[in-house]
Amino acid sequence: MQTINNTKKGWSVKDVIFLAIIGIFFGIIYQVWSYAYYALAATPLKPYANDITLGVWIMAGPLAGVLLKKVGASLIGELLAAAVEMLLFSSWGAATLISGFIQGIGNELGFAATGYKNWDKLGLLLSTIGSTIITFIWDWFQNGYNEYHMGLLVTLFIIRFISIGFFSGVLVYWISRLVNKSGLGK
Amino acid sequence: MFTHRLNPAILLIIMLGIGLQITFARSFLTNVAIVIIGLSYLLYCKISIKLISIMILSAFPVALGSWWSFIAFGTSDVWHVGWIYASRVYAYLFLGSILTLTVPIKDILLSLEKHLKLSSTFVYGILAAFNLVSRIKTQYKIIRYSATMRGTEYHLWNPGLYLRIIIVALNWSGDLAEAMTSQGFTEGGARSSIYHDNLPFWQWLLSFVLILIYFFFSFIVRPW
Repeated sequence: MQTINNTKKGWSVKDVIFLAIIGIFFGIIYQVWSYAYYALAATPLKPYANDITLGVWIMAGPLAGVLLKKVGASLIGELLAAAVEMLLFSSWGAATLISGFIQGIGNELGFAATGYKNWDKLGLLLSTIGSTIITFIWDWFQNGYNEYHMGLLVTLFIIRFISIGFFSGVLVYWISRLVNKSGLGK
Repeated sequence: MFTHRLNPAILLIIMLGIGLQITFARSFLTNVAIVIIGLSYLLYCKISIKLISIMILSAFPVALGSWWSFIAFGTSDVWHVGWIYASRVYAYLFLGSILTLTVPIKDILLSLEKHLKLSSTFVYGILAAFNLVSRIKTQYKIIRYSATMRGTEYHLWNPGLYLRIIIVALNWSGDLAEAMTSQGFTEGGARSSIYHDNLPFWQWLLSFVLILIYFFFSFIVRPW
């Protein structure tokens, strides 16, 4: 007997394909975006390049969250996008998948903090705060942020929050409003 | 010919097991060791020199920027730190490429389903989406062209761009999922499989030993 999983908690093959297709679109967007990133990243301004662009790299996660409204959607959405990116080719290699996981956790914590009840402004705000803090801690080790001096760190943290706040917060909110207006939302 | 290559599931375990440790290791020499071992494995798998060179060049801006930023903004032993983080970029790169350059995507996913129990919903869902890669690329261009024809240009920060993407993803994923179900795909159901691969016990052992050796050198010996 064939079964189609329509429950809200479980993952159906339709959800997976949906997120993977969005992940591939993001892969294309990343390629366009990466020219700007590389131009800046090849200079001592590389940490700035990281933090200014970070919001774009991680927006697949919260977008998956507000579109599917499921426990784990942000984490799996971000992980899928990272896996797609790694398989399509990424100059970060193995770090892509690991960072995707960390970024997804950050977003997921924000939605979890609302008890998975708020997928609107509050959920998104907490999700951006969660991912800003978690990814910053991660970069402390992975990208050696512990070696930079205090002034730079403060600037980087603020830039990171603005980038994540805009792309993964405000922009995702605008997108979800458009989706709801068009009657496609769940 | 395929028998002496490592199984994709084992490569993923090595990649994550060592990749996670790299983040906390502070050694230039262990990074170089990973690059050399990874490069040897790529050459053993007869990956073209041209492809490897492109890969090395593509990561160069990031490695250079890492190195330079520590020289410019670092606080302690800037030269050592600069070399650690620049070589780390390449360690990650080669660690990823031993999986992504040597095994086709389909085999990676089917091997993960068989040996690491990744759910078939994810395996076949991702596979279905990957079959659309070239169409998705075309569709992205169409979305932008059609917007230009209406006199609007989509930038990365326009929500309209993403709405179009979401509409396409919704339609295509619905169609594909329906097609798969009508062809007999049952979520969570038992399936017969035509995918076969070799995963001898020594490969599990090898992944375990490599991860331990890496741990020993990076956190106990701690070379330069």
